[in-house]
Amino acid sequence: MKEALKFEGKDLRQQPIGAHEKAPKEPEPYIVGDRLKTAVNLAIALRRPLLLEGDPGCGKTCLAKAVAFELGLPFFRWDVQSISKAQDGQYVYDALGRLHDVQLQKSEKASRRDPSKPGDYCEMGALGEAFEIKDRSSVVLIDEIDKAELDFPNDLLTVLDKPWRFQVKETGQSIQADPNHIPIVFITSNKEKGNLPDAFLRRCLYHYVEFPSDPKELKKIIDRHYEIENLNRQEDEKVERPKENLQDAAITRFLSIRTEGGLVRKPGTSEFLDWLKALQTFMAKPYSADKLMGEDQAEKRLPYPELLLKVQQDWRKFKPAT
Amino acid sequence: MSQFDAQDWITRLFLRLRRRGYLLGVDEYQAALEAIVAGYAQNEEALLELVQILWCNSRSQQNQLVLIWKDLQRDIQKQQDLHDNLKDRLEKESSKSERSQEENDSRESLKPKPLAREVELQPKQEVASLPVQAPSFTATEREGLLSLQNYFPVSRRSMVYGWRFLRRPVADGCKNVLDIPATIQTVTEQGYYLAPVYRRRQRNGARLLVLVDQNGSMMPFHRFSRDLVETAQDESLLQEENVQVFYFHNVPASHVYQDVYLTKPIPIQDVLGQCNGDTSILIVSDAGAARGYRRQERIQNTTRFLLQLRKRSRLIAWLNPMSRKRWVGSSAEILAYLVPMFQMDRFGFGEAIDVLRGVAKASTEGDDEG
Repeated sequence: MKEALKFEGKDLRQQPIGAHEKAPKEPEPYIVGDRLKTAVNLAIALRRPLLLEGDPGCGKTCLAKAVAFELGLPFFRWDVQSISKAQDGQYVYDALGRLHDVQLQKSEKASRRDPSKPGDYCEMGALGEAFEIKDRSSVVLIDEIDKAELDFPNDLLTVLDKPWRFQVKETGQSIQADPNHIPIVFITSNKEKGNLPDAFLRRCLYHYVEFPSDPKELKKIIDRHYEIENLNRQEDEKVERPKENLQDAAITRFLSIRTEGGLVRKPGTSEFLDWLKALQTFMAKPYSADKLMGEDQAEKRLPYPELLLKVQQDWRKFKPAT
Repeated sequence: MSQFDAQDWITRLFLRLRRRGYLLGVDEYQAALEAIVAGYAQNEEALLELVQILWCNSRSQQNQLVLIWKDLQRDIQKQQDLHDNLKDRLEKESSKSERSQEENDSRESLKPKPLAREVELQPKQEVASLPVQAPSFTATEREGLLSLQNYFPVSRRSMVYGWRFLRRPVADGCKNVLDIPATIQTVTEQGYYLAPVYRRRQRNGARLLVLVDQNGSMMPFHRFSRDLVETAQDESLLQEENVQVFYFHNVPASHVYQDVYLTKPIPIQDVLGQCNGDTSILIVSDAGAARGYRRQERIQNTTRFLLQLRKRSRLIAWLNPMSRKRWVGSSAEILAYLVPMFQMDRFGFGEAIDVLRGVAKASTEGDDEG
């Protein structure tokens, strides 16, 4: 009886024992809420892809890596582009390379690939590689699926379902995932080009990644972030963590800008972390917490607005502070 | 009784959601059952969360589900009370009858048993009959549904999808597309490699002329005509120069307009002069169906215009944003006999595209369903 995989969102610092060689080596600074944990575990238990939506910069992409790291599973990432085809995730066949090598053979410069073996020219994509790992499940991240063509999700659907198999036309080979170790699939979307097709949505589990609007949670994220940042550094190279009062001031100010500022484009977690880092390290001395909360707030000034405000209308709402 | 029966809940919720238009199949139902068996729904909250993750695919759906859930909770509670009452009453009765039977019958052990079974059966019959009751809505809930469904006869996505079928590939571009299978074929035939084989680049040769009725009774549908025009121009496979859009008010007269505000007129003869037999012509108008008009004059003018179009191209379709039911009695009903007219929903749009690409017979007969 195989042991059921369960994701617990532990704050691991090192790879778990027996991690796969293709598992992420570095820990991911990621704080997982209870709901998200349930969603991940459901996806694992039901063998369905988990579709993650949410504002940009709220950690949709990092989740998959965090899961792979904690469970010690191999991790494959597939960044979808506007020209991506569903087949690219399965395999890419280098027919031209083979033709090229046939010609080279005659001129005695042998290639490392043998043109008489069609399999030599087949390169697996993220899903193909995941299917080929038989001794354990793997984690596949299909990032920004909405960027691709309209039919893309539907084409993908046939692979992400029983019998979890696809055919390599050129070699006649059939690639199938081990039924006991179906890959765990995460899909992220920004709804850039409207909704995904119904059939695809029906198959997926859905979770909306919220921005962590609780100050305590943001604080946890900061802690975890700096902890991991300093994990592999020498004592004298350690990044200095902002003082408590600066952290608190930054959190309060950031949340108030986000909720009350009436911004067109709201900054996300990653932007907040960058901003905090700038407050701490950009000038010789860290930015004053009192100034941030006092003067600046009263006069609607904002230090380093470049990091938070990315639209012209938003930019006009705050004066840059020096 | 106090124990939480997740399977019962999930079954009822499944039926309810399906009636509310959620896209759920047996697979999804089974997945939920599987999750329950795996221990993901120990209590009501956990079950709600499970269903939100599993069966919803947007945040608004997740919020809507909470309302439906509360409804269900209320109904189940009501039923529970009813059931408890019934049980109490039956227990009283049975104990009464037991007492009386003890007095006069020696086979008392048999009789209470069927009674007890009846007690168990009663609530199940209630379960079956419940869906017949009209679900109670709160006002906000109903509004939410209206804005979600009724105002979206056709989504942008299905428009984009529909336009993709409007194509007439013509391989007349430059000869610069590498044909790998043909190249390999040639090499194997010749035994040596000489040069790659190129194909001509394909181009979409389909031409489209869109005539949009603007203002007046079309006012509520501007959103859709705008979507329609935008998707045709930007998100279809059509070449940019092959899509032409003109606007008119009520009936295309001697002039149509190049902008939505009807300020830049252009003679209709100039527009039609650019059409050839392969130009697809799509008219977007309610044809008087929105207000139920049936004016002889408007019908005559439109007919004249349609005949004029017919001389240029046979690929003509009419999209009517009003539903087919509303055409009856208005000029749309008559015009629908002259030109293939479709109501503007997903299927109607698809059929209109079929006519435009010349696949469906552009006949005007046999269009009398509904």
